[in-house]
Order: sequence, then structure tokens, then C-alpha cells
Amino acid sequence: MASFVTDMVDRARLAARAIADFGENLVRPTVRIGVTGLSRAGKTVFITSLVHGLARGGRFPVFTPLADDTILRAYLAPQPDDAVPRFEYESHVRALVGDRVWPDSTRQISELRVVVEHKAGAAPGQTRTLTLDIVDYPGEWLLDLPLLGKTYEQWAKESLALSSTGPRAALAATWHAYNAGLDPVASADEQVAITAAQLYTDYLRSCRAERYSLSLLPPGRFLLPGDLAGSPALTFAPLALPAEAAPPEGSLWAMMKRRYDAYKDIVVKPFFRDHFARLDRQIVLVDVLAALNAGPAAVRDLEFALASILDCFQVGRRTLLTSLISPRVDKVLFAATKADHLHQVSHDRLEAILGRMIERAANRARYAGAEVDVVALAAVRATREARVRCNGDELPAIVGVPAAGERAAGHLFDGEREIALFPGDLPADPERVFDLGPGGFNGLMASSPDDAEFRFLRFRPPRIERTVDGLPSLPHIRLDRVLQFLIGDRFQ
Amino acid sequence: MSSPAESRRAAEPRRPAAFSVDDPNVVIGPGPAAEPPRRVARAEAPRPFASVAVQPAAPAIATPAAAAAVPIASVAAAEAAAARPATPSRPVPWGLMFWGSAGGLVVLGLALSVIDLVADLYGRSGWLGTLGFVLAAVAAVAFTVIAGREAAGLLRLKAIDQVRDRAAEALASDDRAAGRAAVTELLTVTRHTPTLERARVRVQFHLNEIIDGRDLVHLAERELMTSLDEEASRLVTNAAKRVSVVTAVSPRAAIDMLFVLGSAIVLVRRLALLYGGRPGALGMARLMRHVVSHLALTGGLSVGDSVVQQMIGQGLAAKVSAKLGEGVLNGLLTARLGLAAIDVTRPLPFSALKRPTIQDLAGSLVRAPERDAAAPPAAARAATAE
Repeated sequence: MASFVTDMVDRARLAARAIADFGENLVRPTVRIGVTGLSRAGKTVFITSLVHGLARGGRFPVFTPLADDTILRAYLAPQPDDAVPRFEYESHVRALVGDRVWPDSTRQISELRVVVEHKAGAAPGQTRTLTLDIVDYPGEWLLDLPLLGKTYEQWAKESLALSSTGPRAALAATWHAYNAGLDPVASADEQVAITAAQLYTDYLRSCRAERYSLSLLPPGRFLLPGDLAGSPALTFAPLALPAEAAPPEGSLWAMMKRRYDAYKDIVVKPFFRDHFARLDRQIVLVDVLAALNAGPAAVRDLEFALASILDCFQVGRRTLLTSLISPRVDKVLFAATKADHLHQVSHDRLEAILGRMIERAANRARYAGAEVDVVALAAVRATREARVRCNGDELPAIVGVPAAGERAAGHLFDGEREIALFPGDLPADPERVFDLGPGGFNGLMASSPDDAEFRFLRFRPPRIERTVDGLPSLPHIRLDRVLQFLIGDRFQ
Repeated sequence: MSSPAESRRAAEPRRPAAFSVDDPNVVIGPGPAAEPPRRVARAEAPRPFASVAVQPAAPAIATPAAAAAVPIASVAAAEAAAARPATPSRPVPWGLMFWGSAGGLVVLGLALSVIDLVADLYGRSGWLGTLGFVLAAVAAVAFTVIAGREAAGLLRLKAIDQVRDRAAEALASDDRAAGRAAVTELLTVTRHTPTLERARVRVQFHLNEIIDGRDLVHLAERELMTSLDEEASRLVTNAAKRVSVVTAVSPRAAIDMLFVLGSAIVLVRRLALLYGGRPGALGMARLMRHVVSHLALTGGLSVGDSVVQQMIGQGLAAKVSAKLGEGVLNGLLTARLGLAAIDVTRPLPFSALKRPTIQDLAGSLVRAPERDAAAPPAAARAATAE
């Protein structure tokens, strides 16, 4: 009953904000772009490159409003929320271009507002503005969204089942051993809870190593606690629970359950409500290549993680009624990031693999009337293309500087030398990379870096020379197509 | 007998490899690399990724399975090969054969009579015969040149049609290779249009970038067709205006008809020239046929969007004068014909840019009598373009 009431209150609050937004939208047209992606999917680089391109009038031939000079200029404006840090656009650009390193992984939420001034109508001299609101946040937090619909019991059961499958079983062994000795109906003990949470966190962390690259690792704040570290809301773990429904008063089970609910209320709900419940357009960035590096189990894991996250979003055709009561995303773009780690001849296959991965979410969006597209994207293109003659064959390769410490095909790279890399042929049948059986491919999980079937290295950002006109726009692959899809229709 | 793992490995694609950039075998550049993916892709292409793929049986029993598979596959291939020539059972082109052979006979007869004539002339006097021979030779050369031009014009029209088909294909499939091929052909077709020089350089530049098929065709359309479309709209509007004025003031119906016909032919020819075709007499005949059949096809469709306005316009005009009403009607007819001609002569289908409507082209005709009517924005644009 209580949850029903809070649910109603939440909905009412959401509707109130939607109406306020609707009113504001009439005065100041705004597009809220939801940049969705798990950690290391490339959200920060995407936002940086997008803003840089818009502000500098970058080379976006496919983005019509910029190509035909409808857009006059774009500039950063103070963001709407005073409590949220500003997206450090300038320092990210400096890191990319000056030091040629990718921005550090995002540790806190930040916000950015870009105002685009454009021509309006046929009459000359008439201008209008379009405001883009973009939020950057740690991708780990996204993993929490599916928890909103689950009780502690459901979550504990699923987490335990998941942790005993595939490569996870070995990683979770210590935690499993500890958990086996716990009695959920015994009286609550703070030290037990702390140890269990610690072991569970260690297990989640080890799943993230490049070799495994597993994705489905909730709760996200366990990996990136921020200022909540050590608080009771983060001190819980799944328990092996008996089938009966109600936890006894004062038991470990009851304590864990209470803390889980608190976590949802304190952490997950505000995050969702403030940043994801009211989106106009959504881009889902997916690092397919990291999962392909690791192996079929990582690919499957990514698929499940995406499916459960994408179920949380409201998508569908926008009508006057829905925009007043419950805002909806009417265009969803799925992007396989880091497409510059592949030669362009493989892009179609990468798109096919991503399409297969998000098939269910994409179909749901289509049925609800939203527009859906799938692209292979590189927000900042770090490589060039080349052909290599090798044993009478011509390999489509890419040329770039791998980051220090990367290994492939028997070489260890120092971060300075430029190489040509043939990363392997993606299969024509996307189904093959999802195959967990003996027909599946070899990833880092099962073999050494020199024996894996695909090797997608991390390349350093490209060398960009400053010209007299200042910094040129960053090279990219299909960023203009993404922009055209997301906001190209908003400049009439 | 190999183990399953080994046979899988053998069938597997190429392994990852790293090379130094100084390696002479490394050719840096965006040029299309050998595309083994394509070959395989074509074999498996019809399966959309959405469908549940059935994995082929594990190759554990590789030898018998393969042995069984080969004959089946070859039988299937043979059947397919046998079926293929049967399907496009083209009828024997009797008409073409008749006209071809009859034309040949006429040419032979002419040649014979010319030879006879030259022989007769030589019989009269030597210099007369030489003059006759020279005249005949010049006529023959001129005829050859004209025939060559006609053929070239026809080929060019065909090339434009082909570009349009390819572009439509690329728009539908969003395939990079198809888009690139279509745009490359488009650049060849528009090679002789000097006003497009800069736009062509820009498009040429984009050809080397990673842009998908649909986007590339859209890009080329925006770059190359925008100015041509404006010019085409202007041509059609002017022709329509001229026709309606001449019809309104001409004393005889026969003159109207001749003028409408003449300006239609001139209009189609100008549009063809504008969009890169250079039709001769045969080419014009072919184009006119296409335009008229296109008009018949699309006429029914476009009635819906403009018939009301036509009726209103005509009604108002007719009230002013019957002759003026006729003029408006003829003008609208010319505009509609021009629109069909644009569709037929334009080397790309309308996709990124808006297809002009009858209101854009002939709006001013209808609006002229009703002075106070508000100008639709599209028509206003057409008007400012003049």
C-alpha cells in the first residue's frame, strides 16, 4: 500500500514537471538528449565531440542544418540545475587534443546546456534557438535502473543464480563460500553485513577486468560509491534465502531487505526521476568491441544488461497528451561505439551484431511508434584505414597508435609507435558471437591475448594540429548521421 | 579425420595481425580493401538479423556430411541455372525486326539510287560526276555524325535512367558500395555542367569518407540538385505563364494548340539539357513518350492535392472570361507536363529535397485573377526565384 502511494506521488510529480516543461518548451524549445551507456561505452567522449563539433561548426556533411547553414552558431549556456556540477567540456577537449589521452572514467554526474541559434522560416534575418540539455554520469549507475522493479528477494535470487554461471562462478568463489555460512534468519549483525557487502563488491569488481568485461553488475554504486561509501544504504548483499515469504523481525534478512529498499529510494529513484524520466531523444552507446574481445559470455552478459536497462525507459510516439502526462522518447538510436577500431568494410557486421543484441528493445520501441536506428559510430576517430598484403591476401587494416600496455598478436605496445592492425573478421552471421557452445569464438576469457579471435586495441586519440583558425573539429565516423537522426528534425 | 575444433579453425576467417607502418606491404589510404566479407555476406544476406538463425549442424561428422552436401548443392545450382534463362522469356521483337529491316532496305535503295545518279552524272561529264560524288560523300559523313549523336544522346538518357535506378536502390538498401557507385555515376553524368563544378568537388571529397549509402545519395542530391531544381522550377513556371498568356490572347484555337505543343517540346528539351542529358530527335521522342506515360501514371495521384485549387482557380478565372479560363487550364497542363518531365529527366529521385508541387510551379497562374488571396509560402519561394 505504501509503495502504491509513493508510486502515485512520483507519477504525479513527474506529470507536474512534464506540464511545466511543456509550458517552457513553448517559450524556449528544448531537446533533452538521454546519452545512455554502460561504463566505458564512450559517453563522455561522445558528448565532448558532439558539443565541440556543434560549437566549431565541424565537418558534418550529413547533418543537414549545419551543412546548409541553417544553424548560425552554437554556444554553451549555464545549465538549468544549480546543484549538479557542470560537464567539464574544456578540460575534456584539452585531454583529447593536448595530451592525446581519453578522458578519465566519469565519477560523478554532470550537466551541460548547449544553445543552438538557427534560422527560422523563409524570412531572412529571423532566428530562433534550440536548447540541448545533455547529462553525463557514470555508466555503472545505469545498472541500478532495473532494480526499481525488483524486490530484495527477487534480486537476491537472480544475483545468486547469475553468479554461479559461466566465468562468474570462479570469480565469486570467495563470496559464495562466505555466503554459504550465513543464516538469513539469524539476528542481524553489522560486521557480517559489512563483510558480505565487501566480498560481493570484490566479486563485482573482478568481473569488470578487461579479460572478462562483464556488464551486468548491479548495484552500480557498489562499484562507484562516491560520497555514499560506507553508508548503510551500500552495506548489503544478496543472501541465499528460504522460499518462505516474510523475513523474521530483527533478522539479517530483514536488515538487508530494508537497506536494499533504502538504496532504491535514496539512490536509484532520484537518479531516474531527475535524469531519465523526461527524455525527448535517446542514444544508447554500446561498447560491443570490448565484449567481443572478452568472449561469448561477455557478449551475452552485455545483451542481458542492455535488455534490462532499456526496459526502464518510456518510448513511443509523442502526442499532445503523452507530452503532458508522461513524456516519451520518440527517437532511439543504438550506436556501437569505437567503430574506428575496425575497417569500414566490417561496420555493417558490427551494426548487425548490435542489432541482434538489442533486438527486443528495438522492436518494443518500434511497436510503440518510436523511430529506431542502429549505427556504428566513432565520436572521435583515432585511426586511419589501410590495406595490408599478407600471404597473397589483402587485409583491411587500421593504422593508429595503441595505448601503452596493449597487447596483440605477440606484440606489446609502448604508446608511441604507430602500427597497422588487422583486428580479425567479424562473422557474417551475428548469431555466432552469441554462441556459448563449442562453436563460439575464442576471447580473452578463454585464451591468451595472442590467441584471441578478435583483438580490438585501445588507440590513443588522433594527433590534431592547431591551425590559424584555432582548433579544427575532431575527426569522427557517422557522428553527423547520429546528429541528423537525433535533432535534425528540430530546426524547421 | 580432424577434430571439430580443428575443422572449425580451418574454416575460420583470418587471424588478427599487427604490422609496422613501415612495412612495404602496408598501403595507407581509404581505398576499398579486398572485401571477403561481401562474398560471404551475399551468400547469407537474405536472412535478416532479426530472425532466429538455425546453426548448421556441428561438423563433427564432417566428411559424410560434406560428401552428402556437395551433390545436393550442385544439383540445386544446376536447377537454378536451368531455371534462370527460362524465367525472362522475352518475346521476339518483331516490331523492331520489321522497322530495322525496312529501314535497312530504304537506306540500301537510297544508296543504290545515289550510286546510279553519280554514275549517270559521270556519263554526262567528268566534273559533274565529281561534284555529285563529293556531295554524296559529304551527305554520308553528315548522316553518320548525326546518327552517332543520336546514339550518344540515347545512351546518355539511358545512363541517367540508370543513375536514378541505382540511387533508388542505394536509398532503399543504405549500402555504402551501392551509394558510392550511384554517386560516382552521377558525377560522370553531370560532368559537363559548369555551374556544378564546386559542388562536384565537394561531393568528390565526401566520396572518400565513411558515409552510408542513403546519406551519401542525400548529400549528393542536396549539393548537386538544389540549384538545378530551382532553375527547373523557373523554366516550368515561365513556360506555364507564357502558355496561359498566349492562350488567353490568341484569336484561334489552332494557334493555341500549336503553341502548347511547341512549348511543351521546348520545355522538355530544356529540362533534359539542364539535368545533363543532351537528347537528339530520337532522344526527344523517347523522352516525350516517357513524360506522357509518367503523366498518365502520376496524373491520378496528383489530382488529389491540387484539383480543388484548379477548380477554384478556373472557376474564378472563367467568371472573368472564358478565354482567360482556358489560358489558366493550358498553363496548368504545361506545369503538370513540366513536373512529369522533371521526374523523367532528373538523374536522382526526390528524397532529401522536396519535389515541387503544382502550386509551386503554377500557383501564380491560379492566384493571378484572385488578387487578394494569400500567397502560399512555396509559391512565394518560386516567385522570388525569378
